Amino acid sequence: MSELVLQADALRKSYRMGASRLEVLKSVSLTLQRGEVCALVGSSGSGKSTLLNLLGLLDRPDSGRLWIGGKEVQGVSNAAAARLRAARIGFVFQQFQLLPELNALENVLMPRRLASGNWWRRRNAEREAARSALQRVGLAQRLTHKPNQLSGGEQQRVAIARALVCGPQVLLADEPTGNIDCRNGDEVLSLLLHLSREQGAAVLLATHDPKVAQQCDRILTMRDGLLVSSELTQA
Amino acid sequence: MTLATLGIAYFRRRPLLIFSAVAIALGVAVLFSVLAVMNGFLAELQTSIRTISGDAAVDISRSRGGEFRPLEAYEKTLADVDGVDHLDPQLNWYGLIGRRGSAAVSDPRSTDLSGLLLIGVDTGFEDSEVESDAGGRPILPMRLGVGAAERLDLEVGDLLGVITFVEGSGAGSRERSKAPQLLQMSCRLVETIKTGRYDQDLDRAVFPRQALAEFLSSTAGFNELLIRTTPGADPVQVAADIERAMQLAGFTHPGYPTTFSWRDRGGNLLRAVENQRGMLSIVFFFIVLVAAYQLVATLTLTVTEKRRDISVLRALGATPRRVIRFFVSLGLLISLIGISLGLLLGQWLVQNLTTVEKWVGGGQPIFRAEIYKFDHIPVSVDPGSVVVLVGATLLVAMVFSLIPAWRASRVKVIDGLRSR
Repeated sequence: MSELVLQADALRKSYRMGASRLEVLKSVSLTLQRGEVCALVGSSGSGKSTLLNLLGLLDRPDSGRLWIGGKEVQGVSNAAAARLRAARIGFVFQQFQLLPELNALENVLMPRRLASGNWWRRRNAEREAARSALQRVGLAQRLTHKPNQLSGGEQQRVAIARALVCGPQVLLADEPTGNIDCRNGDEVLSLLLHLSREQGAAVLLATHDPKVAQQCDRILTMRDGLLVSSELTQA
Repeated sequence: MTLATLGIAYFRRRPLLIFSAVAIALGVAVLFSVLAVMNGFLAELQTSIRTISGDAAVDISRSRGGEFRPLEAYEKTLADVDGVDHLDPQLNWYGLIGRRGSAAVSDPRSTDLSGLLLIGVDTGFEDSEVESDAGGRPILPMRLGVGAAERLDLEVGDLLGVITFVEGSGAGSRERSKAPQLLQMSCRLVETIKTGRYDQDLDRAVFPRQALAEFLSSTAGFNELLIRTTPGADPVQVAADIERAMQLAGFTHPGYPTTFSWRDRGGNLLRAVENQRGMLSIVFFFIVLVAAYQLVATLTLTVTEKRRDISVLRALGATPRRVIRFFVSLGLLISLIGISLGLLLGQWLVQNLTTVEKWVGGGQPIFRAEIYKFDHIPVSVDPGSVVVLVGATLLVAMVFSLIPAWRASRVKVIDGLRSR
């Protein structure tokens, strides 16, 4: 029996543009099952990133309801939202968003540290988990390298390891291959999908690339702030 | 420790944060040095007052009716007072001392005569004998403050003259019926004494008490009792108890005190130094406040520059409180480094104060003995003052760091992630 890990109901979001308001999301509803990999496609400005931000609790909708792991999260405090992100949500960004002062291992370790809270205790287990996550993305030899010493593809692998190190229920990826070359992009995408499926995380992956979308279980299409279609693929 | 690693990385990569630590270090070093000097000055002042005036003292000339009782009467009265270890009788008088003795009176020149306190004590003259001159008059041995000896250009072995006046029947008597008498005697400088107090070394000559009493025709032979208290006893309390015992024995009038603790004797000077220490601490703490202000400015700049990092941390699950804690910890780390450097620098300054004084004063001493009373710069590092200094600096750094930390916690995650 499938398990619902994310549910959004009638999410709306608008931004003030001078005297007027620009409605970016117009009542978007969707669900994600455990282990399901969904592609979110649409042209630029269709509202993909805004939707990911709302689902990842990085931003607040004007209206609508949202459940993560069966718990309604609408209206939770900033601190509670942060704890939910640490425990249940992983992010992979187009710009990688690694912390440049930390090496690969420390970058991957960071979400574990933030989730655990007990920073003063020795956390060999956490360090081991981070090391293992980097091994799984093929960077066992790059643990102590800083982001500026890594290629784009390697940086995105670190970002994937960081997103999955806490075992999230939901993984939100915004154009994860948008900033790397084709060959590396394919490898990164395969890795992302493989590891997510292995961990049973639900994935929502925003992309422009139809080839990427075809590798997912379902394709959600957005246009002008509306979710206009939801199609199953052959993947 | 990943967040700590990030904080240290920020500190190492940002010279302005290092400058903040240096500014705090300078403030702490200056305050540490000033406190050490003030504490040293106060401690040596207290020690010198206690050494010279006793832990407490009974002024016999103020006792009831001006009547002098035998020393045994006082010893018996004070024997049961808690905290009294022993009494040292002392005879205090005044006089003029000069190389040419009485001849200088008719031809006084500043270098010939010096007005001094003549003090008769029971100790320190065990190896000296009272000589006699050709006319059979006694020549008293005398120990003279080193400042007075230098002023009069005297050396050990010099023969001197002492001139004084006594009223009535002798020194310290309240009997006014007789006309004042001019007394003169000879004395020999047997030793110069150095108390470390410039003013004390300039104005006192010490004699054997019995010999001085005979010269002054003092029947009692003393007019002050220096009280030495037992270890751990509070001299102020002991002085109060002695006063009570003296009143019960009928030696003194109520409301007309004759017993004074060393703090009473130090009086205004001690209070002035204590007040000055407090005022200087406040004034120099402003340096620390300015350094802390610079820390705020630098941390605020860091928050602005690191908006993307802060947003990444927030996206990964850092709560606003965690972000505040991170930046406050960064502020505390910087101030701890500054405090540590400041304490080391302050300790070096204190240990090399004489060198620093000459360097700052262009070879001339800044702390002149005739102004500051001591012929050296007294220093004393008080652990309590250091703890207060460190605690206050940390508190200021923490409170000031809260401002940029709060701003960091308010960074909009979406905007921060878009920033470069």
